[in-house]
Amino acid sequence: MTDRTADILPQDQSLGRVSDQLTGIPLHFPTRRRWWIAMIIASALLLLLVISTTALFTRGVGIWGINIPVNWAFAIHNYVWWLGIGHAGTLISALLLLTGSEWRNSLNRFAETMTLFAVICAGIYPVLHLGRPWYLYWMFPYPATMGIWPQFRSPLEWDIWAVLTYLTVSLAFWYTGLIPDFAAARDRSRKRGWQIFFGITSLGWRGSAAHWQRWQQAYRVTAGLAVPLVVSVHSEVSLLFAAGQIPGWHSTIFPPYFVLGAAFSGFAVVAIIAIALRSLFALGNLVTDDHLDVLGKVLLACGLMTGYGYLFEVFDALYSGGAHEMRTLSDRLTGAYAWTYWGAIAFNFVPLQGLWWRSVRRSGWMLLSISISVAIGMWLERYMILVTSLYRDFLVSSWGAFTPTFWDWSTYLGTIGLFLVPFLLAIRFIPMISIFETEELLHKEQERPHG
Amino acid sequence: MRRPATKPDHPRGPVLWSSLEELSGDPAFEAWVDAEYPVAATFGPTARRTFLKLMGASFALAGLAGCEKSPFVAALPYVEQPQGTDVGIPKYYATAVTLDGYAQPVIATTYSGRPTKLDGNPDHPATQGRSDVFMQAAVLELYDPDRAQAPNRRGEPVTWSDVQHHIGLLRQQWTQSQGEGVALLLGHSTSPTLIRQIEALVREFPKAQIYEHAAVGGGRGLDSTRAAYGQPLQLRPQFENCDVVVSLDDDFLGAGPHQVANARAWSAARHRTADQPGLALYMAEAVPSTTGAMAEARVAVDASRTWLVAQGLANSCDVAGAAKPDLSAKEQRWLDRAVHACRSARGRALVTCSRFGDDATASWVARTNEALGATALLGAAAPVPNVANAKRLSDLVSDIGRGAVQTLIIIDANPAYTAPAWLAFRDAVAKVRSSVHVGIHRDETGALCEWHLPLTHTLESWSDARSIDGTATIIQPTIAPFYDVRTVHQVMALLLGQLDPLPAAPVRDTWRAALGNDFETKWTRCLHDGYVPEQRAAPPNIHAAATAVVPPPPDDGLDIVFRPDPTIWDGSFANNAWLQELPKPLTTLTWGNVISIGPALAMRKDLTNGDHVRIRVRDRSISGPVWVLPGQAPNTVALTLGYGRSKAGRVGDGLGYNAYHVQPIDQPWQTKGSLHKLGTRETLAVTQLHHRMEGFDFVREVNAADTDHPKHETTQPSLYPPKPSAQNAWGMVIDLDACIGCNACVAACTAENNVPVVGSEQVKVGREMQWLRIARYYTGDVEEPRSFFQPVPCMHCEQAPCEMGCPVHATTHSPEGVNQMVYNRCIGTRTCSSYCPYKVRRFNFFDYRPASDAPEHAAHNPDVTVRSRGVMEKCTYCTQRIEAAHVAADKENRPIRDGEVVTACQSACPTKAIVFGDIRNPDSEVSRLRGDGRHYVLLEEQGTRPRTTYLARWKPPEGQG
Repeated sequence: MTDRTADILPQDQSLGRVSDQLTGIPLHFPTRRRWWIAMIIASALLLLLVISTTALFTRGVGIWGINIPVNWAFAIHNYVWWLGIGHAGTLISALLLLTGSEWRNSLNRFAETMTLFAVICAGIYPVLHLGRPWYLYWMFPYPATMGIWPQFRSPLEWDIWAVLTYLTVSLAFWYTGLIPDFAAARDRSRKRGWQIFFGITSLGWRGSAAHWQRWQQAYRVTAGLAVPLVVSVHSEVSLLFAAGQIPGWHSTIFPPYFVLGAAFSGFAVVAIIAIALRSLFALGNLVTDDHLDVLGKVLLACGLMTGYGYLFEVFDALYSGGAHEMRTLSDRLTGAYAWTYWGAIAFNFVPLQGLWWRSVRRSGWMLLSISISVAIGMWLERYMILVTSLYRDFLVSSWGAFTPTFWDWSTYLGTIGLFLVPFLLAIRFIPMISIFETEELLHKEQERPHG
Repeated sequence: MRRPATKPDHPRGPVLWSSLEELSGDPAFEAWVDAEYPVAATFGPTARRTFLKLMGASFALAGLAGCEKSPFVAALPYVEQPQGTDVGIPKYYATAVTLDGYAQPVIATTYSGRPTKLDGNPDHPATQGRSDVFMQAAVLELYDPDRAQAPNRRGEPVTWSDVQHHIGLLRQQWTQSQGEGVALLLGHSTSPTLIRQIEALVREFPKAQIYEHAAVGGGRGLDSTRAAYGQPLQLRPQFENCDVVVSLDDDFLGAGPHQVANARAWSAARHRTADQPGLALYMAEAVPSTTGAMAEARVAVDASRTWLVAQGLANSCDVAGAAKPDLSAKEQRWLDRAVHACRSARGRALVTCSRFGDDATASWVARTNEALGATALLGAAAPVPNVANAKRLSDLVSDIGRGAVQTLIIIDANPAYTAPAWLAFRDAVAKVRSSVHVGIHRDETGALCEWHLPLTHTLESWSDARSIDGTATIIQPTIAPFYDVRTVHQVMALLLGQLDPLPAAPVRDTWRAALGNDFETKWTRCLHDGYVPEQRAAPPNIHAAATAVVPPPPDDGLDIVFRPDPTIWDGSFANNAWLQELPKPLTTLTWGNVISIGPALAMRKDLTNGDHVRIRVRDRSISGPVWVLPGQAPNTVALTLGYGRSKAGRVGDGLGYNAYHVQPIDQPWQTKGSLHKLGTRETLAVTQLHHRMEGFDFVREVNAADTDHPKHETTQPSLYPPKPSAQNAWGMVIDLDACIGCNACVAACTAENNVPVVGSEQVKVGREMQWLRIARYYTGDVEEPRSFFQPVPCMHCEQAPCEMGCPVHATTHSPEGVNQMVYNRCIGTRTCSSYCPYKVRRFNFFDYRPASDAPEHAAHNPDVTVRSRGVMEKCTYCTQRIEAAHVAADKENRPIRDGEVVTACQSACPTKAIVFGDIRNPDSEVSRLRGDGRHYVLLEEQGTRPRTTYLARWKPPEGQG
């Protein structure tokens, strides 16, 4: 993808300085004031989630705007959105590790961190949306006295396993990648508390050649596991819809369409975070314009493939000739929720075209705005897929409408708090750019002219 | 019924008072105290005042939103079970409930002494086991916590001995004055016992005056026959003997006491043979009705033009003196078709007109029927015996005005609400020295009168009444009264000077005289059967009056017509939550009434559904939301009665507008008025947002010629192996040609399956819980649409998408093919509902159950689980009834017979449109219908293989636009 011979990191920096710079972020936190402001906002959002969840558990899912026929809305829609965001982290880290794309090394750590917390945000929704969440454990095959098992034909059951597997592997991958850096931070920490914290988390890493060998094996195996999971988990999520007969859902294009859409939104959020971190911690030397350039290209590619999905969804409906499919298509394009369809098109694909220009890709704020637009666009797309299919399905007599309530919005905004609070903590306490990998890359680049 | 999500706060809650004395003088507050603290009702006047003072502080603290007490405590098991009681085994009683004073014969199912379900009495000649929404919902009224619970004088609770004492004093005066100044105002009643008692009262006090006021029914319905035949007649058209019926605005299949009998007869005639449509119906109407929806040809005619169409019909049928009127092209086209049909079915063609119509129409129709030789088909009979020589409400008001009334006794009527506002009835009552209201609720009239004497509910009463066909029907209690209440006959007996009369005695006395010898045996027989076999009087000889009535030249303005509400009727069912939440046919509106207008008028005035308008009639006006009804005549505005009540109770207060406010005394059903747009609007609580069929074939129509083709078995291929079937495979077939959209099935399902009531706010967001919905569609031009009804219960798909979606096996397939819902396994993912192509599943978004101490719990069917929050539910094919049949069959070691399992919807249906049974049994009725040429499957292409299927409607012959 990138020109292997071109250098992505400036070479006029020493390895020791990179280590100092990156471990220094948690140890001597540079932007305390801004961090606290962000943390207060994030905590307020998290508090909103706590309040919304309390109201939800006390009174029932009726506090949301859902009804019959639109009995899935914000909960499932935000679940898919968060899970999609989570994808880019694993994709960048694992796939690019395996394919040896070295530009990943400045981005993979926070992308993986983002994955982890985005999957947690996604993961709480299937619990929240249950009518009786206290019986969640019935979805697991435990030895119930009545001998009842979960129903393995249900896409929801697959969903539980897909998401849990994905979460587990993402966590393992993220943690494995962190071990050498924890050790680096341990060696540089002066305070006792930090020494103990990083001492425990680095699992006795000494950096011996045997350690590195085992670690390489473990890291690559986990990456090898994670890549198919990226595809499987979102394919599975799409089956949540495609397995039903509802027009607008019942389509074979859904699995690739969802995976690509997920990667699209995920890369957009990676770009948002990369640009934010770069300016926040003055990491311009490590997350370079070249990185943004590559991110922009990937975003454009994913966007175009998602656009293909849009086209083929329309084609599918027209080609099928099914009266109900056509009806749903026309409802999407012109119905009460047409704004979600056209909004998704506008936010996803119109600003995206700017990325054809190199100067746009290399400009931090332009890439940032395009990425934010994509995140919004993909949110609208999920809304559109859910609501425009359900609100008018087969029988005219069951047609309905959906209007989100305050609690729909508050729960959604609350999950942004749930994402931001641990993410800000991670920024505060964990080296957010992989030290050893960046150094490895830098070292390679510096060695290359001589070799 | 209490609704958790929209529990109305007391409007005075947040207000601060300067003193509690001021507060306790407020009648609204007193009414609230009555309901909230029934214990206070047992205090004497002084103790009550103390109680109020003591409670004052906590009232103020609680902002008047505290909890309420209920006399209904948990049902506890017997320690020693008495002989002859089988807990859990229902008992059945033949009795009746009333509508407009007419008996609706029922079989009441009681569990442990509590009635839970009413079904039509199959032995009764009038209804033959069929029912309507009012009959189905009557049981809830019994448990209404807002019922008056003890006698009351000017808002202060009193005892029955106080009442007895007061009546004693009154009787002393009456004895001296021979009843001078005594006025007795009755609602419409057909009770032989009440009539006997009133006659006895009049004998004792000859100068006492009797008045009758029924908002909708009673004598007012007979006026038009007076004009047409010169004598009041009860017309019971014999639709079963007709081939053609031409209806001029007569909604004979619509709600009302006549509905069940008419629907049954119409359906029998319509489906006389299986291979072609029977009775053909031609309808000219101003406001679309269920009858119009079933018509072969329908034309929209403004109310004030109906008589012209009647005259045109008469003219075409060669009635002497009928000039050819000036009709529009549409009207003329319709008329030609109708006349052609009548001519080709001479002797079996009948013309009917509405009892709400004008005299001119009635007169022309009477003469046309004579010309068509259809007089015999009219089923004319002398009116059902009534209180003789009763004067009208307007007479009462004028009598009060000239000071002729000192004591006013109002029995089972609510004129303070239902009297047309021009009568100023409320002011009149204020002039009466002593007023007594006898009724089940302390309603608007009860609050106005000095005394309020609470009545028992029909299901707690010994009484009698006549059904619409005149059959005397015995009303026996199914439960002892909950409250300190008396039957109307006990109250009458008090007026007649008896002390502590027994509830049964007056009724037995009536029938002892009528039944003659061997009374006890005959009486037991009557109680068991539910009616008294009597000799029918010979039908009167009738002749249409020869003089044509010419209506006065119409005023300018829109035609304003008044109709009783299809679920609340005249307002007397306003506090019945089941009926409030029952979608009204054609609009699917719940919890309110609308001003319905035609699309042309809506276009002219730029109105859409929910826009507020003001209707002005003479010098009075009301305002409410409009509903644009496809097919309504262009200059007709329809108002429905029954809403806008202020003292119905917690359920019925403050809903809708009060049409009585603009109902003129001289033109109660049809008048002239104007309509103005107000600029505000509201969201209406409708259960179906879209009514046009949008080109789909959900409701199919077939020609008689097309049904000859043998029905080819088409089942979509499936990847799943077929499921082995048990001995019985249940299925249901719904005949869309017979469904009149009356909602009796929905009401029956609600009662049978403990379906919760959710309230208007929840209906507005699309969360109504009824397991069965009557989808209503129209096709064609919005001015001249064709209307269709389609009951949609669970389809019980053999390849059910819902079953595949549930992650925890909460919805499964029974070996008998029933798609089961396991409530206690459901965790509420709602996947089943998302996947359901028919959207028949209902979800408990909140805890919709009544409060734990609410009396409504006593109305629950103990055989059906009450669902909690977060649980999906849906039609079960009345699985409890299937299981009961299994038990009965197993005990006798035989298979279940065809027709042994009757679902609640099926048993309620007045037209027998729903058939349920075993599709594996080739001889069963349901198997036969599945092989019918009209049989089809809803969304067959989805491959779900539903067990619930439909029979298509007969397509009207060509020419219908």
